[in-house]
Amino acid sequence: MTTQQQDPIVPLYRDSFPDFAAMVRRMGGTLEQAKDSFHDALLIYLEKQKAGTLQVHSTSKAYLLGTAKICWLRTRDNRSILSLPEGLECAEPEDREFQAGESGARENGLLDSLLRSGKKCMEVLKAFYYDHCSMQDIAGRFGFSGRRSAAVQKYKCLEKVREEIKKAEAYAQ
Amino acid sequence: MRSELNDVRLIDGHLFRQLNEEETRTVETRMLVDNGFAENVAAQRTAHRLVRLYGQREDRRRLDAIYRLLLTDINFALRLKTIFT
Repeated sequence: MTTQQQDPIVPLYRDSFPDFAAMVRRMGGTLEQAKDSFHDALLIYLEKQKAGTLQVHSTSKAYLLGTAKICWLRTRDNRSILSLPEGLECAEPEDREFQAGESGARENGLLDSLLRSGKKCMEVLKAFYYDHCSMQDIAGRFGFSGRRSAAVQKYKCLEKVREEIKKAEAYAQ
Repeated sequence: MRSELNDVRLIDGHLFRQLNEEETRTVETRMLVDNGFAENVAAQRTAHRLVRLYGQREDRRRLDAIYRLLLTDINFALRLKTIFT
């Protein structure tokens, strides 16, 4: 397991965040706002990196600062970060207003319920769909006998989650 | 089990826009004539949104932990203090 000290994001964070915080300060923002926008940008960076779609043309720091600036400006102007420019739209973090709204609260509640009833299933699905791990990696990480067994478990988990979602939606109606 | 596995793959392909024209037509037709299949597509779409929400939640925790760790670094903390005073 990677400790926080060994986390590969730490050097990038240490090198980039003070520069971004200074930029936000110059534009009248607070440290908390700078941190939130920086984390939104890092989520985009991490998701793209995991999906193998990250295209850094100069440096990771420049990419991150540019993305964080867009996130900050959109948050400041109360514009949804769901409408980020082309190229960023595939990995945008869930909009904070959406998460705080009724739909967001319902989905957060549903997620909490799924984690309570079957955390391992959610971990398996996250490993495959969010972290983009191979079936072989998933088999090793979760103790399945091989790729085929991991694929079947992933299917069973998805089926279980789908049924929970259907029940929750029927209940909500 | 095999046909169910194939359905999961087919729906994933549809949701991630990875199907060819013929497969796309198959999914669209089945959604029209098979309510159970259409419900599975909708639920699988929500499942993907929840998995992503979970991944982002975990990543936010990871980033918050890194931020707290870096605040224990005197040089990093001093730089931030200088910027915001």
